[in-house]
Amino acid sequence: MTKVNNKKVIRRLAFRELKPNRKMNFMVILSIVLTCILFTALTSIGGNLLNGFQQETMRQVGGDRMAGLKYVLPEDYEKVKSDKAVRDAVYRIIVGQAVNEDFRNISVEINCAGDKAAAESMFCMPNTGRLPEEYNEIAVSTLVLDELKLPYELGITVPITLDVDGDISEHEFTLCGYWKGEKVAMAQECWVSGAFADEYAPTPTVSFYSLDFPEYAGYWSVDFNYANSWDIEGKTSKLITRLYGNAEFIPDTGINWAYTTSNVDIEMLIGGIVIIFVIFAAGYLIIYNIFHINISANIRNYGLLKTIGTTSKQIKHMVRVQAAMYSAIGIPLGLIIGVLLGKVLLKSVMSTLNILSVSSYSISAGLLMIVCIIAALLTFATVMISCHKPCKIAESVSPMEALRYNETDISTKKKNKKTSKITPLSIAQNNMARTRKKTFVVVLSLTLSMVLFNTLFTLINGLDMDKFISNMIVGDFIVRQEHFRYDGEEFNTITPDDLQYLSHIDGIQEVDAVYYDFEFGNLQLEGKPLEKAKRFYQTYSADDEYGELNSITENYLNSDVYGVTPTIINKFEPIQGTIDTEKFSTGNYAIVYTQYIPLGENYPDDDFFSVGDTVELKGENGKSKSFEVMAVCEMPYTLSTQMYSMLYASIIISENDYFELYDNRNAMTVMINAEESCFDNVDTQIRYMTDSNNSKVVLKSRQTYADEYADFLKMIKLVGGTLSGILALIGILNFVNAVVTSIISRKREFAMMSAVGMTGKQLKTMLTWEGIHYAVFTTICSLIVGTLLSYVVVNGIAGEMFFFTYHFTLLPILICVPILLLLSAVIPSISYRTICGDSIVNRLREN
Amino acid sequence: MTVLKTENLTKIYGSGDNKVTALNNANLSVEQGEFAAIVGTSGSGKSTLLHMLGGLDRPTSGKVLVKNKDIFSLKDEALTIFRRRKIGFVFQSFNLVPTLNVYENIVFPIQLDGNDVDEKFVGEVIHSLGLEDMKNRLPNQLSGGQQQRVAIARALATKPAIILADEPTGNLDSKTSQDVLSLLKVTGQKFSQTIVMITHNEAIAQMADRIIRIEDGKIIKGGEPND
Repeated sequence: MTKVNNKKVIRRLAFRELKPNRKMNFMVILSIVLTCILFTALTSIGGNLLNGFQQETMRQVGGDRMAGLKYVLPEDYEKVKSDKAVRDAVYRIIVGQAVNEDFRNISVEINCAGDKAAAESMFCMPNTGRLPEEYNEIAVSTLVLDELKLPYELGITVPITLDVDGDISEHEFTLCGYWKGEKVAMAQECWVSGAFADEYAPTPTVSFYSLDFPEYAGYWSVDFNYANSWDIEGKTSKLITRLYGNAEFIPDTGINWAYTTSNVDIEMLIGGIVIIFVIFAAGYLIIYNIFHINISANIRNYGLLKTIGTTSKQIKHMVRVQAAMYSAIGIPLGLIIGVLLGKVLLKSVMSTLNILSVSSYSISAGLLMIVCIIAALLTFATVMISCHKPCKIAESVSPMEALRYNETDISTKKKNKKTSKITPLSIAQNNMARTRKKTFVVVLSLTLSMVLFNTLFTLINGLDMDKFISNMIVGDFIVRQEHFRYDGEEFNTITPDDLQYLSHIDGIQEVDAVYYDFEFGNLQLEGKPLEKAKRFYQTYSADDEYGELNSITENYLNSDVYGVTPTIINKFEPIQGTIDTEKFSTGNYAIVYTQYIPLGENYPDDDFFSVGDTVELKGENGKSKSFEVMAVCEMPYTLSTQMYSMLYASIIISENDYFELYDNRNAMTVMINAEESCFDNVDTQIRYMTDSNNSKVVLKSRQTYADEYADFLKMIKLVGGTLSGILALIGILNFVNAVVTSIISRKREFAMMSAVGMTGKQLKTMLTWEGIHYAVFTTICSLIVGTLLSYVVVNGIAGEMFFFTYHFTLLPILICVPILLLLSAVIPSISYRTICGDSIVNRLREN
Repeated sequence: MTVLKTENLTKIYGSGDNKVTALNNANLSVEQGEFAAIVGTSGSGKSTLLHMLGGLDRPTSGKVLVKNKDIFSLKDEALTIFRRRKIGFVFQSFNLVPTLNVYENIVFPIQLDGNDVDEKFVGEVIHSLGLEDMKNRLPNQLSGGQQQRVAIARALATKPAIILADEPTGNLDSKTSQDVLSLLKVTGQKFSQTIVMITHNEAIAQMADRIIRIEDGKIIKGGEPND
């Protein structure tokens, strides 16, 4: 069989066909660019966000290697390093901890890096200076220098109190290098020289795992990568079996959870897919429309090509080649603009989502490539899918049909048409009816952007700043620790002196303190509450894997006890009972709340307690006191410890009662109300206290949250606005394209109508009516789809957010209608002018 | 009475080396109720002449007088309105509006004018052209001959001063051509309508009252009624 090489001629033909079609080329390329911008911006935000989370986690963990062996010996390192599955193995020698007085707020590790790669893998490679070489050299993070109040200067002396498995010694090192410390990291690293490590932490001779009383000094931490991050746990356990088999002492392994914790939850994934689909739909609608119109316009050409022997396959190939050519121009342009746009949007998204290290890592070239490739593929797929159907039409056309083909063919099913009076409007209606498909596509495309805009508006409109803030903060200012931790740290750190200081600031109206205490088994159950608790135990004990409910069988509960300044309870919203500040301040009353976490929002069976019940609280040193339940009410989140156990009760009593039971006089949290005119001054004054060196508390003001909220809103507006803006652009482009081509393709028809006496004005009126039809259909569709989407999506999904109040609105659509009407009235008459230049005779002559 | 008159009508296309004189000082006049045929070979300027007569194209110089009115003194919009009131067109390619049915096509120019349709007159026209049975059909369901009869009915319906027919039988077979032309002639006489037709077909031309010959843009014979 002879092989015919006709690819070249087809390609040449495809190219020639494109040349004269300037306007259409511009339209197609523009729509591909827009589609590509959307895809690129989206994938770049998505990709960078995932990468950002991962980077952030790695910095928290303090390493970028996928897995590691803990507390091993040099021979283990050699073993691991030589394994074929393992890459980039690094090690560090554990020396000890720095326990200087100044390091109250950070934890500082003293280690010896195996090499540069080891330091780099932990984001701890000095960018000024180098790793230590001499015995008394040290390299530290800037955070360590900050805590020691030392300048960033090489050669200075760094005092370190070293704790090697309990042996404390004082040292003076010379700074040989430093790097920018990560605040998010769990521990700060200090590198010492090998010589120093040898002296204070000599390499042990026996396995760490054989020791009864393990000491860490001198053991190696080995971290490494695999070829890819798929199933790291599985790979690691296989590695351990391979290396150690049945050995007596098998080292512990660590998996870097930056790789394992999934940062994508299902909602995010669905959201992403929906957005991709919307973009795809928008791109499809316009690209399909343009190709379809173009092919209809060129159908005679295709017929001609067929009569002279071009096969269907070749014609199809030709259209495909054209699509590819458009993509070749449009996609790179779209990628460039999309990446730039993505960068701008990303900054806002990242800072809003609190990815702290955002400033310290830049978008990597590799990730950018992946983003571009994905966006390019998505766009290319959209183009190819869009031109699939038009392609079929071109392919299947029969030569004779093509010569007679009329884009605006009237279905022959319709035998007769009822006579009606002719006006520009009635002709317009007829015209709309004969191009139903095109009308549908254009209307859909316009609807898409309108609906998206409406959805976005409903979303933003529903966000409730007051709800957001009131959930975050009670009162004007809150002084408390940033995070409480169950690690033996003292919860109550605000001294009576601090309270004194606070209450003397000018402009302060109210200073309410919250004291906290927790004792095991401090709440005795009896009577009705006990009955309820027992019933509850019977219902849920079967599911109680960890014995969280066992305390009920011993007739007690563990409970958080809050002592509060009575005025603070004015802000509470009880589920049962009423808040009476005066009664409460006389003592002997408690506000209680019990919750079993697995039940979510529903507190079990009207709470264990109800108004009028008596609770008996055990205090310190055998003290105890009975309280009458005044109301069932949860402690507002801001004032609570913000920590939960599976089954918990919170008991709120007045501060005087609290002082009777407990000896601690320090407060956990302080709520402050001030005169609005003094906010700035009060803010400064409080900060003077919270920013002082020994302070463990921070200031949260209403303003901080308002700012946080404003950032959040800005992000949604920016990202959503850009998205719906581009979609609107696509919609309008599609509309313009449809109108212009419909006018050009009916050039002769219009000439004929003016030959028999239709004036330009009447023609324009007709075209305007056609445009108005688009506007009206779009409005109707938008209203219907917009309503549906508003109820289902916005109310359903955003309604889950605690600070969202759903208000149904179609206002944005109604605002868009006049604009749409104006556009639809103006564009046709402008387009009509373009064909008026030709004389009727010339237009009549055209086929 | 002279319904249509041209004075030194000249049309030049292009300029410089590409200058083509399509029409060179053409003078002709047509009387009320006359059926005149303009004949000439292709490229002789007959179509150009017809387009000028109908006000579809503007001349380089000279005048066209319809009922003693210089039509090119009118602006475009006014000219269009004049055209739909005073001139009926019959085109070679029928030129019916595809979305309108037969009846709607016939009354299209009247309704564009915003006038009420003279039902009796239009009914008569439809009857004489034998279109009663297809009043509600769409153009694409008609044969070529039928479509041209609709076009003739449309031209007659406005009771114009002149009907201009541009190769009305050009797309029809000879049998249908004869039928359509007979109808054109008969109805023209019946409604005492002035008709100017262009054709390159001598046999068709013979059916006219007068034959105007045109060659290289010049009228060489039959420009005046008594030529």
